[in-house]
Amino acid sequence: MMKTALLSGTCIALMASAAGAEIKVGFIGSLSSDTGLSTLRGAEVAIEELNANGGVMGQQITLVSADTGQDPTEGVRAYEYLAETEEVDFIISGSIDDVSLGWLPRMQEYRIPTLDTWTSYIGIIDMVVEDPESMAPYFMNIASDEALATLYINFGADVLKEKMGWDSVVILAEDTAFGEAITGLVTEALAPVAGIEVKDIITYDVATVDFAPIFSRAQDTGADFIYQVSSVNSQVVSSQYVKLQVPMAMTGVNVSALGMEYWEDTGGAGGGISTLSPIPSVGFKLDPASQAFVDTYQAKYDSRPLLPHFNGFNAYHGLKQAMAAAEEAGGFDNVEGWADAMKKQDLVLEMDGQLWLRYAFWGDDEVEPVTGRTYPHNIRFDLSEPFDDAAPSMVVVQWYEDGTAAVVYPEKYATGEFTLPSWVKQ
Amino acid sequence: MLQILIQGLLLSGLYALIAMGFTLIFSIGRVLNLAYGAYLMVGGYMYFWVSQTLGMPKLLGVAVAAVLGVLMGFLKYRLIVKTLKGDHVAVEISTLILAVVIQAGIVLVFGDSSKILLPIVPGVINVAGASVTYNILIATLISWAILLGLFAFVRLTHTGRAMQAVSMDAKGAAISGIDPDRINLITWGISGALGAIGGVFFASYTQLSPSMWVAPLIISVAVVIVGGIGSILGTLVVAHIIGFLEVIVVATLAPELRGVFTMLLIIGVLVTRPQGLFGREEL
Amino acid sequence: MGLRWFHFALWGGLIVGMLLLPQVVSNGTLRTMIFANYLAIFAISWDVLSGRTGYVSFGHPFLIGIGAYTTAILTKRFDVPVEISIPVAVLFTMIAGLLVLLPALRIRGSYFALVTLAFMELLYQLVQVIRPDLTGGTRGMSGIQTLTRGAANGYYLSTTLMLTIAVSMWLLMKTRLGTALSAIGMNEESVRGSGLSTTRLKAFAFLTSAMIAGLGGAFYVHYLGSLAPRALFDINFLFTIIVAALLGGTSTIIGPMIGAFFMTFLLEYLRPVLPGAERYFVYGAIALLLYMYQPKGLVELVRRGFKSLNKGRTA
Repeated sequence: MMKTALLSGTCIALMASAAGAEIKVGFIGSLSSDTGLSTLRGAEVAIEELNANGGVMGQQITLVSADTGQDPTEGVRAYEYLAETEEVDFIISGSIDDVSLGWLPRMQEYRIPTLDTWTSYIGIIDMVVEDPESMAPYFMNIASDEALATLYINFGADVLKEKMGWDSVVILAEDTAFGEAITGLVTEALAPVAGIEVKDIITYDVATVDFAPIFSRAQDTGADFIYQVSSVNSQVVSSQYVKLQVPMAMTGVNVSALGMEYWEDTGGAGGGISTLSPIPSVGFKLDPASQAFVDTYQAKYDSRPLLPHFNGFNAYHGLKQAMAAAEEAGGFDNVEGWADAMKKQDLVLEMDGQLWLRYAFWGDDEVEPVTGRTYPHNIRFDLSEPFDDAAPSMVVVQWYEDGTAAVVYPEKYATGEFTLPSWVKQ
Repeated sequence: MLQILIQGLLLSGLYALIAMGFTLIFSIGRVLNLAYGAYLMVGGYMYFWVSQTLGMPKLLGVAVAAVLGVLMGFLKYRLIVKTLKGDHVAVEISTLILAVVIQAGIVLVFGDSSKILLPIVPGVINVAGASVTYNILIATLISWAILLGLFAFVRLTHTGRAMQAVSMDAKGAAISGIDPDRINLITWGISGALGAIGGVFFASYTQLSPSMWVAPLIISVAVVIVGGIGSILGTLVVAHIIGFLEVIVVATLAPELRGVFTMLLIIGVLVTRPQGLFGREEL
Repeated sequence: MGLRWFHFALWGGLIVGMLLLPQVVSNGTLRTMIFANYLAIFAISWDVLSGRTGYVSFGHPFLIGIGAYTTAILTKRFDVPVEISIPVAVLFTMIAGLLVLLPALRIRGSYFALVTLAFMELLYQLVQVIRPDLTGGTRGMSGIQTLTRGAANGYYLSTTLMLTIAVSMWLLMKTRLGTALSAIGMNEESVRGSGLSTTRLKAFAFLTSAMIAGLGGAFYVHYLGSLAPRALFDINFLFTIIVAALLGGTSTIIGPMIGAFFMTFLLEYLRPVLPGAERYFVYGAIALLLYMYQPKGLVELVRRGFKSLNKGRTA
C-alpha cells in the first residue's frame, strides 16, 4: 500500500516535471461570436508577445480553447474539459452571464485561477463578497453592471437633463435579469440624482416580433425620451426604432451596438442610436499601449471582429497581469498566493500625461465612495470627475447616421457630440 | 383603438404568410415539417447575402431565396419523406434533427451575431397615430396576394384540385389517376418557397440569427393547432386571432406576457377542442 | 416472464464493468460519462412515455425542468435539505406528468407532440416572468448545493442512479404491464377491446416517465450546481434526449443507454478535432444520417449483426 502510494507519487512528480515545461492557458467562450473571439484573440496576442520575450518563469505559454456555443451546460462541460483533460493552469473567459454562472461551481471545485473579461454581472461580485474563500481564484476585469448604471445616471443629469432639457422618461426594458437589474438601478436613481421623472416602465418579451405597439405605448406616456435596456436581440429594437422613425429620442443600453460590426450587421439601419458601453469602446481614443495592441491585432486577423470589443483589451492586459502575478507567486498552484499577487497588479495607461485607463483591482474591504459598497476582485473604476483614480466604468457611445461612432460622455473622453436622429424634432 | 386595429392587421398578415407553408404540408402530407423554420432562416440569410452582401437587386434576392426554398422542399421530400416511407413520427424527428443541423450550418457560414435586413421598401407613413413602415405594409399586401393566389391555384387549376383530392383521401386520389407522389413533391416545393419568402419578410421585421427558426415554427404550430388541419381560409382567420391577441396583450396588458398568452391559447384549444376551431376541412 | 440467466449475467457484467471503470480511465473521461449517464436517464424516461406508448413527447424538458427547478429553489432559497427536496421534486414532477396526461386522453400523434412542445415553451416563459427572485429569472441560478465533489464520486452517484433506474425499468417491462404498454403503442383500440383500461395504463406510463425525469432532473441540477432556463427548456436539449433514445433503439432499455453514451462521446471526441461551430454541424449530421439509415437504432444494427453471424454458423 505504502509502496504503491510512493510509486504513484513519483509518477505524478515525474509527469509534473515533464509537463511543467510549459504553462497552459485555457480559453472558455463562444468561438463563433464576436464577443468570444475578442477575448480569445486578445489572449493570443498577449501570449505571443510574452513568449517572444522568453515566456513566463522561463516557460513557454500554450493556449487551448473550449467552445461553449453560448450554452450554459456546454459551458460546464467546456470548463471540465479544460480542467481535467487539458489540465490547464489558468483560464481566461469571454463567457456571457449565464454561461459564467453555469461553470462557477466548477471553478470553485477545481480552484483554477480564472479571469472573466465580458460578463459584468454584479451578482458574481456579490458571491465574492459572501464567500471570499471559495471565490478566491475568480477575477473580473470589466466594471460590474451596477457601476455602469451608476455612472450612467450622471449622463442623465449632465447631458439629458442639463443640455437637452428633458424632464421625463419612459423606460423600455427587456424582460431579462440584466434588464431588470439595470432598470431597477436607473429607476431608483434617475429622479433623485438627475431630476428626471420616470413616467412608465414598459417591459417587453425578448422574442417580440413587432415593436410598433410598444413604441405607440411609449409615445402615449408623453415622456421626453425613451430609455432602452436591451442585451438580447438588441438590434431588433433599435432597427425598428429607425425603420419606424419613432418621433421620440431614444438612448440607453444596446449591447449589439458595442462593436464596429454593428453598422455592417444593421446594413446602416442603426444611425442615431446611442448606448452605454464598457471601455474601451468604438470611437474611443486609445492610449499608446492599447493602440499598439490594436495594430498587432489588425495585422494578425482579417476576419470579424475587425476591432476587438472591450473584452479583447481586457483579455490582452489581463492575461499579462495574471502571468506577472504567477511569476510573483511562483506559479498558479498556490491559488491564494496568486490571488494576492493578482490584487497587487496595477497597470496605469496614460494618454497625454494623464491617467487614461487603469487595470487594477479593488481592495477587499475598500469602499467605493459613490455607491458605498465593496467590489472585491472587480476591476478598479472611477465614478466621478475628473477620473484621476481610474477610468470611468463606462462611456456613452453615439452612432451617427453616416456610419461613424464617437464617445460623447464623459467630457474627458468625448470625441463627438450627443445628437438626435434627424427625424426627431427638438 | 384604430392603432390596435392597424397594427393587428399588419402583424396578422405576416403570421398568415409564415404559417401557410407549414399548414400546407400538414394538410396534404399529414406530417409536421419541424424543419419548416429553417426554410425561413435560409431564405432570410440568402436574401441578405444576395442583396446586402453582394449588393444585387432586392427582387433578385427574393427570387433566389424562393428558388432555394423550392429546392430545399424538393430535397426534403425526396431524401427524407420518401426514404422514411411517410412514417410520420420518423419524418417529424428527422426534420427536427435537420433543423438543428441547418442551425449549426448557419453559425458556421455566417457566425453567431445577428444581422438586420434593410427595409425592402424604405419609408414610413402615419396612419391614425400609428407609424406604419412601407416595408410592413408591403409585407402584408404581398402576404394577402400570395394567399389569394394560392387559394385560386388550389381551386382553379388541375394540379390544385389534385392537391385537394390528395389532402382528402390519398388512396382514393391515386385510384382516380392522380400521382400522389408528384402532388406531394409539388406541395413540398410550394411550401419551401412560401417559407423562404416568409423568411425574408419575417427577417425584415426582426433580425437574422441562427436561432430565428424557432419563433416562426411556434407561430405556425399555434396556427395549425388552433385552426385544425389547415385550410387556406382557416389559416388566414387563425393568423388574425393570434396576431390580434398578441397586439392587444402588448398594447393594453403586459408586453412581457406576449408569448404566454399564445401558449395558453394553444393548450386551451387542444384540451377543450382537439380538432381545432375549424375541424378537418378541405384545402 | 421471459427472464433468462444470461440477461442477468449481462446486467451483472455491465454493472461490475461500469463500477470498475474509474480505475482505468482518466477523470476527463469520467466527467463525460457523468453527462452520458444523465442523458441516459432522460432518454429512458422519454422512452417509457414515448417509445412504448407511441405518444411522442416534444416537451420532455418540461418534466425535467420541474424536477430541477423544484429542488434548486427549495435548497437554495429555503435551505431545505436535499433528503427532502429531491423527493418533493419527484412528487411535483409526477403531478406535472398528470398535466401532460390530460391532453393525451383526447389527442394523439402529431397533435400530442405539439401540445407538449407548447408546455415546454410555456414553462420557459413563465420561469422568467413569474417570481424571478425565486427562479433566478433569465440568468438562472448558480451555487446550488452539489452532492459530490470530484469526478469519481460524481461518476459513482450518477452510475448507481442510472443503473438502478435501468434495471428496475427492465424488470418492469418484462411484466405483463410492460407488454400492455407496448401494445398501446402498436394499437390502442385493440388494447381497449381486450378489456384493459388504456387510461390507467397511460397514466401509469406517464407517471413512471415523470418520476424518472424528476429523479434525473433533480440529481442533474445538484451535479451541475447551476441551472439556466435557456439551456434547460431548449430545443437542442430536447433534440439530444430524443435522438439518444431513437439512435439507440426505442422500446428497449439498453437502447437509450447506448444512444446516450454514443451521442455524448461523439460530441466530446469531436472537440479536439473541431473546436468551433463545425462540431455541432458534424454531430447533427451524423445523428441524422444514422437515424435515416436505421430508424430502429443501434440496437437493431447489433441484433442484425448477430443474426447474420448465427446464420453463417448454422449454414
